[in-house]
Amino acid sequence: MRAAELLRRLRYLLLRDRYAAELEEEIRTHIDHRAASLRADGLSAAEARYEARRRFGNPVAIEERSRDMWGLSLLEHAASDLRFAVRRLRSRPGFGVAAIAVTALGIGATTAVFSAIDAALIRPLPFPNPSRLYTITADVPLDVGGPRPPGLRHRANIDDMAAMTDVFERLAVFAAGALNLTDRDNPLRINAGVVSQDFFATFGARLEAGRTFDAGEVRPHGGHVVVLSDAFWRKQFGGRNLLGRSINLSGAPYMVVGVMAPGFDFPNQSDLWIPLTNPTTFDSFSAFRGFLPTHVVARVRPGFSAEAVSNRVIARWVQLAGASIPGNANSKGLDDDIASMRVQRGAKPLREDLVGKTRTPLTMLMGATILLLLIACANVANLLLSDAAARRREVALREVLGATRGRVTRQLLTESLLLALTGAAVGVGLAPTLLGLLRTLMPADLAGIAPAELNLRVLAFSAILAVVSATVFGLWPALSATRGGAAETIKSGGGGGSTAAGLGRTRRAIITVEVALTVMLLVGAGLLLRSFARVVSQDRGITSDHVATLELAIKVDRRSVRLAKLHAMLAQLQNDPLIDAAAIVNDLPLNGTSGMSIGVQVDGEPTPKLRNDVPPMARYLQASGGYFKALGIPLLRGRTFTAADDSIAPPVAVINMAMAKTWWPDRDPIGQTFVSAARAPVTVIGIVGDLRERSLESEVRPQMYFPIDDATPVTLALIARSKLAPDVLLPRLRAAVRAIDPTQAVYNVRMMDDVISTSLAPRRTNTTLIALFGALALLLSSFGIYAVISYSVTRRAREFGIRAALGATASDIATLVGRELLTMIGVGVALGLAGAWGLSRIIAALLYGVEPHDPMTFLIVPAVLAVPALIAGWPPARRAMSVSPMEVMRAE
Amino acid sequence: MPSTQRSPIPPGTLDMLILKTVAAGRELHGFQIADAIERESREVLQVEEGSLYPALQRMLIKGWLTAEWGRTSENRRARYYKLTTAGRMRLATEIDAYRVVSEAIGRILHPAP
Repeated sequence: MRAAELLRRLRYLLLRDRYAAELEEEIRTHIDHRAASLRADGLSAAEARYEARRRFGNPVAIEERSRDMWGLSLLEHAASDLRFAVRRLRSRPGFGVAAIAVTALGIGATTAVFSAIDAALIRPLPFPNPSRLYTITADVPLDVGGPRPPGLRHRANIDDMAAMTDVFERLAVFAAGALNLTDRDNPLRINAGVVSQDFFATFGARLEAGRTFDAGEVRPHGGHVVVLSDAFWRKQFGGRNLLGRSINLSGAPYMVVGVMAPGFDFPNQSDLWIPLTNPTTFDSFSAFRGFLPTHVVARVRPGFSAEAVSNRVIARWVQLAGASIPGNANSKGLDDDIASMRVQRGAKPLREDLVGKTRTPLTMLMGATILLLLIACANVANLLLSDAAARRREVALREVLGATRGRVTRQLLTESLLLALTGAAVGVGLAPTLLGLLRTLMPADLAGIAPAELNLRVLAFSAILAVVSATVFGLWPALSATRGGAAETIKSGGGGGSTAAGLGRTRRAIITVEVALTVMLLVGAGLLLRSFARVVSQDRGITSDHVATLELAIKVDRRSVRLAKLHAMLAQLQNDPLIDAAAIVNDLPLNGTSGMSIGVQVDGEPTPKLRNDVPPMARYLQASGGYFKALGIPLLRGRTFTAADDSIAPPVAVINMAMAKTWWPDRDPIGQTFVSAARAPVTVIGIVGDLRERSLESEVRPQMYFPIDDATPVTLALIARSKLAPDVLLPRLRAAVRAIDPTQAVYNVRMMDDVISTSLAPRRTNTTLIALFGALALLLSSFGIYAVISYSVTRRAREFGIRAALGATASDIATLVGRELLTMIGVGVALGLAGAWGLSRIIAALLYGVEPHDPMTFLIVPAVLAVPALIAGWPPARRAMSVSPMEVMRAE
Repeated sequence: MPSTQRSPIPPGTLDMLILKTVAAGRELHGFQIADAIERESREVLQVEEGSLYPALQRMLIKGWLTAEWGRTSENRRARYYKLTTAGRMRLATEIDAYRVVSEAIGRILHPAP
């Protein structure tokens, strides 16, 4: 029954014009019949007509009531409300533009930030059952030819992990890099994944054509095959059948054996995948001209928590390592290893590994954005309230003409909704720009598989925000406009009396709240700015200006050949008269990586204290003798490496201050020996200054440098210091490498200052954005203050006139206005500081070198706010002072 | 000539009266329905025409009546209403409900000894 009724209503909706006309005709006919019947009773034609009409009643009202029965009134009212709202907005374009602009700002910013959060934290990774994917700490066996060095403890590797079939359903190894597609004249740089046989199955990725790698292809030297991604296949090759054909990667042919289904491009937006053999050989990476860091991923069986998986992995490590040690030799090294594993955790959910440290800054940014949105809403509410005051008369008239209060309120709310939705649409249009700015904050690994985008969920969020905003800023003005009896309002001329004062109070309250929120935002921005300044002014331990770097990976030939190449490159640079210093190091400082750290044992010294329950380890670095001079690292004691410190001479190392203080707290370490990585005892020959590794915010750790003549790196950075301009210096650096080996690929060719700048990028983006929000909030609040004081002055014009007539001077009047202004600002600031005091604890995680309750910030912010606020109040104050008593009297 | 004061239709009963009037296979247009109620109630009840048409529209939506345009004996266009099956069931329900209420009222006015 209900469905049929619904259909009928729908029919009436679609054909309502026709039905309305029919109803009208029907009613006319009815009146005619009544008239005819009355004539039959003896009335004259005219009398009958009159009486019939009188008996019937108001046809228009009855038609409307009849049409109401169709149940469409809601829709019709909504449509007419909308038309009316559009007309009103068009008649006041300034108001409309201001309100829409402010709303667009608030909603646009919130949408952009939410989109980033959606990509990083909410949206499930695009794999089946993504919560069961974990990254595992396990070694990837590497076969570089030659016998395995004796005495090495067995480190749990992927075969050991794969054997744990009760925990792991599948295991895979992958590495991500870039290589050249050399099919054509201009090589095209593309992203490639090097992946083990089970990689696609582990992620649950589907094939579109062909197959993935078979067992033979993942054995060392198993043949060059490649699987393409759908996007790359379509874009580069037009989607034609390539199975069995070869494409050229970095000069070598690879046969295409399969194409993946659309939507899969892990890791790092890969265009294609080539096999990673087990054990890995250099051949797997030949297309990349160097090793790539590998990662182990596993799909865990259901029923295991993250904790459980991690514990199982660590337990296996301990078991295998313990079993491989004859007797108790080197058990201390084992403890170090295990302790460091616990810190890294044996297994981490994949998402956490990818998202990592961006969770806190993103949520913080969301908080700041919501503050901005609230401020924007307050501003629009203020605008609407001023509008509401002007509309009292119109609203009262409509009520007198028969509209109910509810109806009028609905119409006003429709206006707010129209403003909000239009603002939201504009804001969503602006959001991509802001998203571009946010990209530095997004975890890089996520950029490919989960790009921040405006998908349905984000758009729905914006729409909901718009509706909520409309309610927040529209409801009060709507209620306030319809308050008070209609008759009263019309009688009093529609603008004066106690209700106007009440309106003024409401508006002042709104602005006070706005000021409070602005203060909170400014305090946050201030704390972050001070943190940023602290980080930047941090003693870097190096002199980074005028230093050029590039990174490269040398094909693993014999070590002696590698070393000869490195020396040749250094010589190229050192022979250049315009280059002051040249050096080599395996890991650049402040490069965003933590590098490798290993345990250190010193005989005859107290065991160093544990830090975070882990025995301290020293960062393992390999450097040329000139490294410290090239980067401006001070040599505090002893000497640096010379050509004599090669692999035949007794092993030596240079250590930093932190390492010296940790292991030799009471003694001079120079000349002392230590043991590390199961090598022969190493003599300390020099002590250098501390520097930070991952970023300027990292703690200083113990660092030990080994000479490249003894420990020759495979992946390394080449450094040159020179007064030459970067655009001259960088090509010279490249040329030095090319002169030694024209086929050697280099990457990350940049100035050291850029390295540091990149490491600062996330903090800089966060700080900039929140500071920007603070500035916007300040602007909005100032505008709000101006509007409210302006309104108040207009309202009190009569009062000022009378006072002036009674002898008040201009400064007296100014004091009156000033008092109102200062009360508003003062209360707002006080509330804001209190709120900031409470909330700053939340922001503490992002601060560096600054207390959450930093007094200087809390003092400066009110001062910063006061200036624009007072400036905003000045023009209305002047207007108040110049009110002429005569004019006011005449207007009475 | 109508001169006596007529009573308005008790609230809630208009639907029932309209449906009953159209029952028994009759097809009437709006005016005829109002007229029939007045006549068949011996001129006691007067249909307030302001409520007649909204009621008719409501009953059309609910599916208790259907309507068709036709011609009167004077060849005027008029819309004729007919009872549907659903309307018949509705009428029975309303009559029952009305009986219950009027009996209850009767018991109050003439309490049993």
